[in-house]
This record gives sequence, structure tokens and C-alpha cells, in this order.
Amino acid sequence: MKERRTSKYTLPALLSSLLLTLTLTLHGQEPGEAPKPTLYVVDSLSLEPKQTFFQGFTLSADIFGPIQKFVSDYGVFEGSLRINLKNQFFPVVEAGYGICETTNEDTHISYNTKAPYLRAGLDINMLKNKWQDNRLYLGARYGISKFDYDISGPELTDKTWGGSAPFSHKGISTTAHWVEFIAGVQVKILPCFHMGWTVRFKTAISKGVTDYGTPYYIPGYGTTTSGTCWGATYNLSFDLNWGRKKNKTQLNAVVHPVEPSINAKPTEKEPEDKEVGKKAEEIKNTEKTE
Amino acid sequence: MIKQNKLIPTLLVVTSVVMLSAACSSNNCPLDNSVSCNYYFYDSQDHAISIGDTLSVSILLPGHDTLYTYRLAGYTTIESRTRIDSLIEQGYKELVSVTRHDSTIINQVSGVAYLQLPMAYFNTADTLVFHYASITNNDTLYIEHDNMPHVGLPECGSYMFHNIKSVKSTDYAIERIEISNPNVNYEGKENIKIHFAGTLE
Repeated sequence: MKERRTSKYTLPALLSSLLLTLTLTLHGQEPGEAPKPTLYVVDSLSLEPKQTFFQGFTLSADIFGPIQKFVSDYGVFEGSLRINLKNQFFPVVEAGYGICETTNEDTHISYNTKAPYLRAGLDINMLKNKWQDNRLYLGARYGISKFDYDISGPELTDKTWGGSAPFSHKGISTTAHWVEFIAGVQVKILPCFHMGWTVRFKTAISKGVTDYGTPYYIPGYGTTTSGTCWGATYNLSFDLNWGRKKNKTQLNAVVHPVEPSINAKPTEKEPEDKEVGKKAEEIKNTEKTE
Repeated sequence: MIKQNKLIPTLLVVTSVVMLSAACSSNNCPLDNSVSCNYYFYDSQDHAISIGDTLSVSILLPGHDTLYTYRLAGYTTIESRTRIDSLIEQGYKELVSVTRHDSTIINQVSGVAYLQLPMAYFNTADTLVFHYASITNNDTLYIEHDNMPHVGLPECGSYMFHNIKSVKSTDYAIERIEISNPNVNYEGKENIKIHFAGTLE
């Protein structure tokens, strides 16, 4: 982000002028008498960063899913769109395409599916300082996938009653739903570029059980070999600043009236003024990092 | 909220929990993976009983058998599925009949409270014959069902599950028969109640 050089000079100037501001008003005035000035002294100053609610979009791509597909029988190709709200709340939509092509060596049963899935949810930045470049997330997702799968294997033989038939069933249609609980981190690697990972604990609401049994693999969820499922993503993210307004600094001043005196001394407030100056410097640095 | 200086320890804890949890996962193949229809025995008052008689069960299979019966006064009657010419030469009279092809699947058991019997994979109606040692007549059971190929997990193999549609039987020793659970799978639940005539008391 381009550094705002003007703030280096304008901020101290603004502070100095406010500390020395004398506001004159007219009150308690007798007829024919010259108006008496009332002196107001700045009691305290505070500079608060006023961050806009909407901080932009982030586009992400998962690189763990394709690697998983390369080294195993299943994997996903996934992207996500995240909305940044005050660097704390991140509503997110994740869409992907899950693929599973597996044949068990012992039973010779094959399972194949290729289908899209969708997840939606919210991440929350758990770090105390929300405005630093790194983030630690906790979040949750609801996922859904409507998919068809094929199963096939050796022919079924009835040893008691006799007879045999091929075991091959294609295009079995079903829908699965699940929820995920997420922990993850994200670090800034370049301006507008982030890298991070998530681990996901998944539990199925419905595994889409059909007359043929429970699907072995649900796109976006994973395998159904256990009651619950663990997953992971490794994301590369790019910040989009569409529609984002620039953050501003808000100056708050508390004043109190004093007796009019030419030699009004604001020296008692000096230590506090120094504190305000430090805070202003901190905020200025924060603005720079943005 | 988590301070930045606690970030790394927090991540280590989360990662460790994930690793440990992942290590605990295992497959869910059923230990008893035979699919059978479970027939439980009751008296007429719905008390669970063990059958006191000696019981054999045969099933009627598709196709027919030719049965040759040889009789001679003063001698034991002989039945055979193949023709025996030597018996005719000895003076036996031959009687030829055609019967349903059958197979005995339970041979002379007693004191049992239930039976686990297979269902046909590719027929939608099974006929079972209960043979009793103490009475001459047999009871015939008719079970109508659907068949559903089933794969739990690829590593667990394939099965044929069934859904029982209706049951009926003759009433020589059996008073009534009813479905208690129509889903026939490897869970081992009671599927059919057979109520024999008489009470436990």
C-alpha cells in the first residue's frame, strides 16, 4: 500500500493546535458591557482508528486437495470467496469438485464419483490484535453435495439357492449434508497475498445412504470409513479491494471551561499530551502497515 | 481471545490433537458379516421358547426332481432320485413322481430358540419346509421379499440385503407367523416371529 506521507506532518500539527485552542464565547454579558471571553481547555485527547466495517473480499485456492488426488484415490479442486468484516468476522463460501476413483485390492470392488460440492460458513479471527498481517481462525461450515456414484465388483453368487448375477450399479444418486469445525492460520507473504492452512473436523448430518449402502466417498466431505472425518486445506489467498472504503482515524477531544486568563497554562496536561502523542504515533504506524 | 505470543503453542496443541485423532480412525467392517433372516420361536401366548421337538428345515429350489419310489411287501420302501433297475429285477414296484428340487439346510436340531436361515438372492419368494420328528405333517412357510445388493465399504465386500414383504405358513405345528423386522442384513436382529401352538405353562 502506498505510504501516506502527509500524515507525518498533519497529525502533530492538528494535536498542537487543538491543545492550544481557546474557544471564545459570549455569556453573562451586562448591557453595554464588552463581551467576556470564556476559555476552554482541552482536557484529554484520544485518537481512535475508525476502521470501515467492510474490508474487502479474499479469493482462495486450495492446493492440498489436488496433491491429495495425485498421491491417493481421491481429492478435491476447491476455491473460496471470503468477505472481511472488520478483520474479525469472515463469512465464506467454498465451492469445489470432488473426485474418487478407487478399487479395493482384496475385494475388487470399485467406487467412482465425480461431483461438485458447496460449503458456507463463518471464520472468526481469534487474535487480540485484529489489524496485524497474520490471523488465527476458528470457524464452522455447513456442506452439501448432490452426487451420483458407481459401484461394481465380482458377480454375486447365491451358494444356497443358486444363481449368480453381475454386481455393477451405475448412477446411484444421493445427497449428503455435513458440518465442519475449523481451526486455521493465515500469514501475509506479499502485499495482498496470504498463505495458510486449516484443519477440519467433519461430522455428517446425512451420509446419503441408499439402498446400495453408504457411499464410500462424499465430495467435499471425504471418506465415510468412520463416523467422523478429518480434513485439511492449504490455501493461497489474494485480497480483492472491490468496494472497500479507506480506514480513517477519528480524533476525540474532551474539553472543560476555565476562568479567562491570558496566562492560561496547559502545562498540567503535558504528561497526558505525551500519551496522546504516543498513541497517535501508534495509529500512524498502523496506517502505514495497511 | 488469543495473544500473538500464545499463537505458536496454540497451533502446536491443535496440530497434536489432529494427529492423535487421525491415528485413532479405523474401518467399520462388520465383525459378523453373514446376512441371514432370523426366525425366533414363541408360544401362542408370545413367550419366547426353545423348540423341544427335533426340527429339520429344507428349502424348495427352482427346478424339479424326479423321485423313484420302490415298494415290496414285507420290505422297507426305498426312495431314490435315480432309477435302480436291480430293485425292479428283485420284484420291487417302481413309482415315479416329480417333486420340487429341494435342499436341507438345517438337519435335526432341537432345543433351539431361533434359526438363522439364508434368503434367496435372485428370487422374490422363498419356500421353507419345517419337518418335525414328533408329527407326520410338515409346515410350509412362504416368505416374499425384495433383494438389494449392498456395499458398505469397498474393503468390506458386497452383500445381498433383503426386505421382507409378507409371510404366511401352514398350521400343523405353527399357530401363526409375523414379521418383527423386515430388514434382513448382517445386524442379527429378529426378523420373523414363529408362534407354535400351545403355551409354555
